[in-house]
Amino acid sequence: MSVGAVARNGATEAFFDGTAAGRFMVRRCSPGGHLSRPQARQCSECGATDLSWTAASGRGRLISWVVIPGRGSEGEPPPPPIIPAIGELEEGPWWWSMLVGADPASLAEGQPLRIEYERAENGEAVPVFVVDTSSTP
Amino acid sequence: MGRLTDNRRPVIAGLGLTEMGPVYGRSAANFATEAVRLAVADAGLQLSDVDGLLTSNGTSGGVGLGLQRDLGLFDLRILSEVQGFGSTAGTMVQFASMAVQSGMAEVVACVFADAPLRPGRSAGDVYGNGRRPDAGGDRAAALPPATGWGGLLLATGVVGANTLYALAARRHMLRYGTTTDDFGAVAVAQRAWAADNPHAQMREPITLDDHRGSRWIADPFRKLDCCLVSNGGVAVVVTTAERARSLAQPPVHVLGWAQCHPGRLFDRDENFGIVTGAARSGPEALAMAGVKVGDIDVAELYDCYTYTVLVSLEDYGFCVKGEGGPFVASGAIGPGGRLKLNTGGGQLSSYYMWGMTPLSEAIIQVRGQGGGRQVHPHDVALVSGNGGILDHHATIVLGSSPT
Repeated sequence: MSVGAVARNGATEAFFDGTAAGRFMVRRCSPGGHLSRPQARQCSECGATDLSWTAASGRGRLISWVVIPGRGSEGEPPPPPIIPAIGELEEGPWWWSMLVGADPASLAEGQPLRIEYERAENGEAVPVFVVDTSSTP
Repeated sequence: MGRLTDNRRPVIAGLGLTEMGPVYGRSAANFATEAVRLAVADAGLQLSDVDGLLTSNGTSGGVGLGLQRDLGLFDLRILSEVQGFGSTAGTMVQFASMAVQSGMAEVVACVFADAPLRPGRSAGDVYGNGRRPDAGGDRAAALPPATGWGGLLLATGVVGANTLYALAARRHMLRYGTTTDDFGAVAVAQRAWAADNPHAQMREPITLDDHRGSRWIADPFRKLDCCLVSNGGVAVVVTTAERARSLAQPPVHVLGWAQCHPGRLFDRDENFGIVTGAARSGPEALAMAGVKVGDIDVAELYDCYTYTVLVSLEDYGFCVKGEGGPFVASGAIGPGGRLKLNTGGGQLSSYYMWGMTPLSEAIIQVRGQGGGRQVHPHDVALVSGNGGILDHHATIVLGSSPT
């Protein structure tokens, strides 16, 4: 399952500069150094509006997921399911994306995840989750 | 907030339901005007008595401020389009109640209408579930690349109410051991209630096995966990207790109300899927009404999905947090159960008019006009509305008498 095309706009420019280089960017507040999700307009910890961009580790854990049966053409075997998921970044913020390459039956809450990047034709690099087999929960 | 004690206490005096379901060839505005006319006539009033109008759009649009002209209403004292998605109906009644109580208006019509269904269009497509990365073919090619933060969700398939509520439901399952059979128990119970509701689209009884055999939409949700999609309109008329005394219907007193909009940050320790706004708006509305959860004769809880009912039952205190699954599976709900819940079949089985579905059924029950599904006693009803992805919650307590 591949991602759809997504184009940058003013709000997502710095984020997609990051994904193009394989970095998952989050917001860091100047007063306290707290980290918030990339779309935050103020710090989720202290409310500060003075935010800069910083790269997160790209690691996290599985919070929730959904299994949507693949929709194929008639007469052909159905494609694999899509697994929309919520991951919690090591740094705290949640991110929502598809989980790729996973067996739905093997998924468990708290499972280590890693962010990788996929790109549709004419689209920006888009973060997706993969199960991180290099670490243990 | 104090108890309401004067003659300007708010009352729901009129209810109008149009034909609902796969009814084609009519606009939402057309349904809306009919619903208002029906509600006004039901109350024993004239359209010229209406001096306030609150409107609520579904997905298809067209139910806005222009409705005033469509209805030929002059010199309105309040007119507004209200938006809280599934909580809007409750919100409109709350604002209308405050308007009549303050003397700002005397007779306020609140209306919701939608006409998303068209022949050949799937119910899922109506709510954005059709736009997914693997849609393929001409449809995908016709779409411009998505942009913004929402575009990232579209591009990665985290889109549509089915998926987003299923993510919430999974959290409840992981935290408390809630099962898909528990969700099924809600579907089965509500279908049993729908059998005696002449307005219901789905009246054939179902079993838990039917639920287990129902196809996956977004695991953990099967088709039978998801609400219907309907065309149609519903309106209510809110006025004062004093005015209602001379009107046509038994008055339905608006005894208490509250809202909660959680405003989630989606950060570590987020309670998304675990706790809803009902945990705050429920106790506040009950306190305003001067009743306890044990005094509720009939509960009409917003049911965009079976899960939403289950988590709301916990948040309102009908069972302990985390025990919604065992509670619904125990036979506590359904026509023979001890809790009279979603007695018209709800949005899962009767009609999908957003917050107007639970509200309309509560009005019917409190009046004692439920026919074969009428519950006894029916003096105090609790109504919930839930909107967005558990983002907005409105609670109303209704009663057959002012205290």
